[in-house]
Amino acid sequence: MSGEAGVKLAIRNLNHNFGSFRALNDVSLDIKDGEFVCILGASGCGKSTLFNAVSGLLTISAGQILLDGKNIAGKPGQVGYMLQKDLLLPWRTVLGNITLGASLTRGAHKADREKAAELAYHYGLGDFLRHYPRSLSGGMRQRVALMRTIAAGRELMLLDEPFGALDSQTRIGMQQWLLEIWREMKRTVMFVTHDVDEAIFLADRVVVMLPKPGRIGWILDIEIPRPRAMDCMTSPAFVEIKRQVMEMLYSQATLHGVPGAQPGGLKVPA
Amino acid sequence: MSHEPSPLRDYARHVGLWIVAIALIFVAWELVLVATGLPAYVIPPPGKAIGVIFDNIPLMTQLTSQTLSETFYGYIVGAVLGVVLAVIMAQVPIVHRLLYPALITSQAVPIVAIAAPLVIIFGFGLTPKLIIVAWIVFFPVVVNVLDGLASVDHDQINLARLLGGTRLRTFMIVRLPACIGPLFSGLKIGACYAVTGAVIGEWTASSHIGLGTYLLTANAQMNTAGVYGAMLLLTAIGIGSFLFVVIVEHFATPWRTRMTAPAYFGGNIPPHASTQKQKV
Ligand SMILES: Nc1ncnc2c1ncn2[C@@H]1O[C@H](COP(=O)(O)OP(=O)(O)O)[C@@H](O)[C@H]1O
Ligand SMILES: [Mg+2]
Repeated sequence: MSGEAGVKLAIRNLNHNFGSFRALNDVSLDIKDGEFVCILGASGCGKSTLFNAVSGLLTISAGQILLDGKNIAGKPGQVGYMLQKDLLLPWRTVLGNITLGASLTRGAHKADREKAAELAYHYGLGDFLRHYPRSLSGGMRQRVALMRTIAAGRELMLLDEPFGALDSQTRIGMQQWLLEIWREMKRTVMFVTHDVDEAIFLADRVVVMLPKPGRIGWILDIEIPRPRAMDCMTSPAFVEIKRQVMEMLYSQATLHGVPGAQPGGLKVPA
Repeated sequence: MSHEPSPLRDYARHVGLWIVAIALIFVAWELVLVATGLPAYVIPPPGKAIGVIFDNIPLMTQLTSQTLSETFYGYIVGAVLGVVLAVIMAQVPIVHRLLYPALITSQAVPIVAIAAPLVIIFGFGLTPKLIIVAWIVFFPVVVNVLDGLASVDHDQINLARLLGGTRLRTFMIVRLPACIGPLFSGLKIGACYAVTGAVIGEWTASSHIGLGTYLLTANAQMNTAGVYGAMLLLTAIGIGSFLFVVIVEHFATPWRTRMTAPAYFGGNIPPHASTQKQKV
């Protein structure tokens, strides 16, 4: 079995039940190699469950999850996954936390530490290599957690509301920092958020999820040119996309799961 | 502005408090004597108890070192046994279920009752004393380490799985360090009780005389100053053991008190091209 050209991750007819509760209902989605996809939705609509399924932590009820054409359902360790909690080990330094992946698999060698230090210097953590996590701010801790995910070297990274706990100023800085890393590293990113601005600012495509049962409602292409600076958030194109997304979420909220007329220019998944 | 607390001033304050607390105990002791008018052969004044120690320095040194070494070696055996047992029990559920009731039972048996059969089995040497001390010490260590291992954050274990961690490495890097706090709690409790085990051992099986044996003899001879002198030295061993563990804990868990890793604890950062660039 080989993957479709250019498709990094293929999710096919994924279903998941927690007992009798259907958390994911027939989710199908292709993620292109190098793409930045945001999953947007209210809390409880199955975003984390989707990530747990893709990461292999969850034994899914039905469907297929293909990474480069190979089935990875139920096999942890194939993709990078950063949870909302930073989960830094308090007894390891920043450097030790970044090299955690190597330490856990085969032992961190000098080369691993040097590569991790290089990453840290390049992305603004150079002065903190010897620090313990307790001495870092929330934003810094999230940076370290992201560096740990990057250093593990997986081509697809799942980021579950990584900036959800940060104040808005820090968050904007982190978003730009993340885009810089993504541009330089050329990884494929799936990013969960419930913040409309964040989703549009970061993504090539925004996947809007709906609750009860958790499913994909709409998929939007974001055709705002890159690199994106902060001021694009007030540009007419951005505001227009935001208006469309808000309309979708709002119609959803008022019509109890029956989406209204589709605004023009939107693609509905088959 | 927040400053990192100066460790030196912190230590000075701790030591100062200890000295004050101990001085208060001696003052209270003196006051009880004055208030009750009890004669010195019932309760000697603190000066006399301390005097016995300083009048017989060679003997007291020998007694103390005997009791101290029983306490120390028994403590090490008990602590190591406790950790090993906890690790095995945490890994193998059936062992856990079988051993847990046995552990509780071991502590329900009065320790003095264990001493006699141990002497019958092992004779009058060091062995029964080590076993008694270890018997007392291993229990708080097992219980605390087991609790620690059981309460490791499940997300942290999931993270290790996501990073492709092997079972052994995940245990060594994530689970074991997570219970180092509970481990030291157990070790501190054990440190206070260990000396009691040594004294009980000496009372039932004494070929080499230590402070416990001396205390019994002094008691039989109505040498109350000697009894109190031995008691003071035993107490000092107990406090000393506790403080020793506190100091080891301080240096073994630098992440609890420090912002950055000390050089002896992985604080060495690889020399780096970017460092040089930044320094220019
Ligand atoms: N382990 C579980 N057992 C039962 N129900 C769960 C479990 N995990 C999540 N759920 C339910 O599944 C739904 C989706 O949860 P989740 O994926 O965490 O949502 P989101 O990340 O979008 O906020 C929620 O209603 C939640 O209560
Ligand atoms: Mg979630």
